[in-house]
Amino acid sequence: MVHILVSETRSALITGLTGQDGSYLADQLLEKGYDVYGLVRIPSMPTSTLIEHILDDVTLIDGDLTDQASINRAISISKPHAIYNLAAQSFVATSWKQPILTSEVSALGVVRILEGIRYLAPDSRMYQASSSEMFGKVQETPQTEATKFYPRSPYGISKVFGYWAVVNYRESYGIHASNGILFNHESPRRGLEFVTRKISYNVARIKMGLVDKIQLGNLDAKRDWGYAPEYVDMMWRMLQQDEPSDLVVATGESHSVREFCDEAFRHVGIDDWESYVDVAEAHFRPAEVKELRGDASLAREKLGWAPKVDFRRLVQIMVDSDMELLTSHREMTEPTV
Amino acid sequence: MAENRSALITGITGQDGSYLAEMLLGKGYEVYGLIETRREECLAHLEGCLDDIHQVYGNLATTRGIHGVIREIAPDEVYNLGAITMVTLAWKDPVKVFQINGMGVLRLLDGIRRYSPKTRLFQASTSELFGDVTESPQNEDTPFRPRNPYGSSKLMAHQAVVQFREHKDLHASCGIMYNHEAPRRGPLFVTRKITQSAARISLGHDETLFLGNLDARRDWGYAPEYVEAMWRMLQQDRADDYVIATGQAHSVRDMVAAAFARVGISDWEAHTRVDPRFYRPAEEVDMLGDASKAERVLGWKPRVPFEEMVGLMVDADLARLRAEG
Repeated sequence: MVHILVSETRSALITGLTGQDGSYLADQLLEKGYDVYGLVRIPSMPTSTLIEHILDDVTLIDGDLTDQASINRAISISKPHAIYNLAAQSFVATSWKQPILTSEVSALGVVRILEGIRYLAPDSRMYQASSSEMFGKVQETPQTEATKFYPRSPYGISKVFGYWAVVNYRESYGIHASNGILFNHESPRRGLEFVTRKISYNVARIKMGLVDKIQLGNLDAKRDWGYAPEYVDMMWRMLQQDEPSDLVVATGESHSVREFCDEAFRHVGIDDWESYVDVAEAHFRPAEVKELRGDASLAREKLGWAPKVDFRRLVQIMVDSDMELLTSHREMTEPTV
Repeated sequence: MAENRSALITGITGQDGSYLAEMLLGKGYEVYGLIETRREECLAHLEGCLDDIHQVYGNLATTRGIHGVIREIAPDEVYNLGAITMVTLAWKDPVKVFQINGMGVLRLLDGIRRYSPKTRLFQASTSELFGDVTESPQNEDTPFRPRNPYGSSKLMAHQAVVQFREHKDLHASCGIMYNHEAPRRGPLFVTRKITQSAARISLGHDETLFLGNLDARRDWGYAPEYVEAMWRMLQQDRADDYVIATGQAHSVRDMVAAAFARVGISDWEAHTRVDPRFYRPAEEVDMLGDASKAERVLGWKPRVPFEEMVGLMVDADLARLRAEG
């Protein structure tokens, strides 16, 4: 007689499935044998190509973080062992123009998920994508789990609220919920509106003679940039702990936008790259966060986590991928003579 | 001097809102009050001044409504005192609590920025922002560690004010208000429960006061003075955040003793029982505010001593009970 151990199949519900992190997380969880469900706004589907390759393997549930009923429904359908809340209105500039919408999604969305867990799935574990934007106007460098928050935008404020909601529900209801305070993490799947991808994509285009210039904002802004697939792995690890906790995930090194340009251009053999870059005041953020650098010692100590892809390698991966993307695009669209 | 100035007060029907309305009317302001319901019992605190204020019916929950009010009145000052304040309710409906306490001020800030950028805003922050305190007393630099959705939503509101001040040049200030009491305090709050009970017992209407932890300590001030501090913040050239507190902690026991002393009962223990249903463990570190910045910059200092505040509350309860017969 064959016994099918149903209990061995774990299920996970991901919000923000169609984004960079969500798509990598889905890849990794499918690999580990999870049933993967995604809460998605159906109108956003046609715009996402990041999950095209796994559309047959994941279950999409129509819903939205502004709608408690749809969250409850998603929890009922997926019966998740783990919920990863990666969805947010994450554009800082938009958060100033639409602060109410931003907080409805990025702040209250967290409470709605926690409420869903509290009433429908109290044993489910939750990962909350907290962000280094919470440190904003940094009060000390490097930033650790104990650093005081000083958010600089309605987006950052919403993330701080989400952070505390997780702590409040954990302490009051014993929910296994953890905050990953992730510093910037990039990859070929990063959206083109983010500075790293904007650089890698345009460096590839410049190299191929498709454009002559990139317009950038503050070249001196410094960030702690890591490689997204490694950070996503950390999300999963955090939910495997016996006790939930809040952890900083970062490389511990910060690099300027200028250094990113330097690595990217050099990688395609352009050394005197300054002439290709226009610095435009319009791209400066109203409240610029100057230097973010995280100290992930606690994550290393608790979970043995350490980033393997360093800054230079990250830039190379992104530029190579964009070169490949553009090459295949050209092959598809340009007639060969 | 203050002639023709206008102020919009949210939460005008509450303890602070009604004291503030009276104070501003006394200074010659045109006072607009955001009122959610016409129900008579909800307007009780405004009895004396209802005809003098402009009543605006609405609440903090809709963006269109709030933006409309700001555009239409373009008040010189806005006092955002409206909030869902019962911590127990915050766990029952955290979404609603956030929509009012957290997003309400975002609606005001966004509306002011769009339609009336000269308007000054006061935001009622609370010592609950500090929540799980590890140092005492607390000041403007003490880290925030809210313990429940009430505190978390108030923290978001507080940070929103700071952000709009720093990046959108709004004149917006937060008062981090410690507990403040007065005869208009709601009967569900422990202070009012005590003064009401002492009055009733002294008149023979009741025999016993049931309380939780007598050792719980709080920094209790007198509400009309705290309302004065709000106004002072908006008269500064620069907007900023201030802790408003007495700097002195008293226990529930102190308050019971003071309340009974006012009605001439010295053996208060005989009339008080500890009911485990109300018991909450005492905090290890005192929730105690350091208001020295408010004293330095605003020239604000609490004057009514603790015993006197309790006495005023007991007197008011006695008068009310006698009036009811």
